[in-house]
Amino acid sequence: MIEIKGLTKTYGVGNKTINALNGIDLRINSGMFGLLGPNGAGKTTFMRILAGIVNPSSGFVKINGFDLTTESGKHQIKSMLGYLPQELGMYTELTAIQFVDYMAILKGIDDSRKRNQRVHEVLEMVGLAKESNRKIKGFSGGMKRRVGIAQALVNNPKLLIVDEPTAGLDPEERIRFRNLLVNLATDRVVLLSTHIVEDIGQTCRDLAILAKGQILFRGSPTELTKAAENHVWTLTMQGMEKPNHDLTVVSMLHLAEGTQYRLVGSNAKDYANAQPAQPGLEDGYVWLMKQSNQMVEMI
Amino acid sequence: MKHFSLKYTLLTYRLDQLWFPIAFWMLFVIVILIINEPSQSTDMSLAYLGTAVPLIGGVMAAYAILDDPALELRFATPIRAAQIIIERTLMIFFIQAVCAFSFYIFAKSIDVDFSSIGTVLDLHLSWVIPTITLIALGTFGSIVGAQTMIGAFFVGIVWIIQIIIRDGMAINNWKYFYIFMGITNPEHPDLHANQIALLALSLIFFLCSWILLHRQERYI
Repeated sequence: MIEIKGLTKTYGVGNKTINALNGIDLRINSGMFGLLGPNGAGKTTFMRILAGIVNPSSGFVKINGFDLTTESGKHQIKSMLGYLPQELGMYTELTAIQFVDYMAILKGIDDSRKRNQRVHEVLEMVGLAKESNRKIKGFSGGMKRRVGIAQALVNNPKLLIVDEPTAGLDPEERIRFRNLLVNLATDRVVLLSTHIVEDIGQTCRDLAILAKGQILFRGSPTELTKAAENHVWTLTMQGMEKPNHDLTVVSMLHLAEGTQYRLVGSNAKDYANAQPAQPGLEDGYVWLMKQSNQMVEMI
Repeated sequence: MKHFSLKYTLLTYRLDQLWFPIAFWMLFVIVILIINEPSQSTDMSLAYLGTAVPLIGGVMAAYAILDDPALELRFATPIRAAQIIIERTLMIFFIQAVCAFSFYIFAKSIDVDFSSIGTVLDLHLSWVIPTITLIALGTFGSIVGAQTMIGAFFVGIVWIIQIIIRDGMAINNWKYFYIFMGITNPEHPDLHANQIALLALSLIFFLCSWILLHRQERYI
């Protein structure tokens, strides 16, 4: 279980101070937890703090009872951590099996027989058993990601942190990856950070939206979807006409009778032919982000 | 040792950086063979051991820790900062030691005279201590500046300044921090104090590097 209270992180850039995280309070239980947010929202900083790589400026983080703000607590947490960073750097001259084996050693698995067995197990789990003796430099992006998840799993972590894991993967790889994460979440905390709404909808029962360093929403995908109820519309327009700026275009489709827009906004009364639509998860996300941006503009 | 594998430490080392010590080694060997003159061979050999080996060690150390493609993954494991520093700098020292000893064997095989430096131990201390010092400086420079280039720059600046003002360095109050005293002034009365001071300075650099390396966010 992860307990976070008043977590802040500030960076100094020149004379400016940037608040990457601004008073985060969260409690995360076992299972899959999604962290959603636009680029630059502070997701990676948040993930790196939980991985013990970045020190918080203030606040309190406890993972399975260990305090992340102390050196000994951090050491304990890293021993039970599996981490897949957004920008995955690897020793590409090593084979997949060597790389995962090395990471297992760094994580403290000293018994070579047990380690060897576990390395084979995780490579099998990610579908790389047959390719395990090939050098990583010859792997595709998806295969490298799979090696990344194998190294994250090799110490059988209690906490698995994956930051934008599906970026750059083809649809088949993404589905495979999502399913793998869901399977892993049965007996541990899996923290999935992404800006791809669909990935969260397909995998998480619990999620948070992070925007401008603050938690904007905390709840289930169903609750997020509900947030956009009565704020989603479809509208068909002809010629060069476009919806006004109060409405956010979620998607558009060119049809014979004109362009069909899917819109999110407080109302579309100005348009007689606007039809209310059933919201989806993405609509809920767009609606909340829209609300948040309007609040910032008002301030 | 927990969290350590010599095999993978060697396998993950940036082999493309090995051209640097090998190129210098070959350059000095070729020049000595071409010159083929006893006193100049001695000067060239001492220049290699006492100045080139430490310089190469320092520059390589500047790249040893932060120039790691899997640095973020490594930081997420429970290995200690001290282990990262020891593992990587020992590797650099080992490479330099192999170069220095093989060069020494080559020099002895062509009868280069090292008697001006003193005993065999004195000769080897004259490259070991400057090499440790510049490795420590390169490591500290790159970590304090959070950039490999800064470490290499520190090493280069200290090396070139001390080479230029070497005569002055040996006689003023900076003599304890004169890196090349073992080679240029082997009979200096303060040589041992100088060697102890350089080792102490190296230790301080390593300690500062260790403290700074705990702030992992500076390096990713």
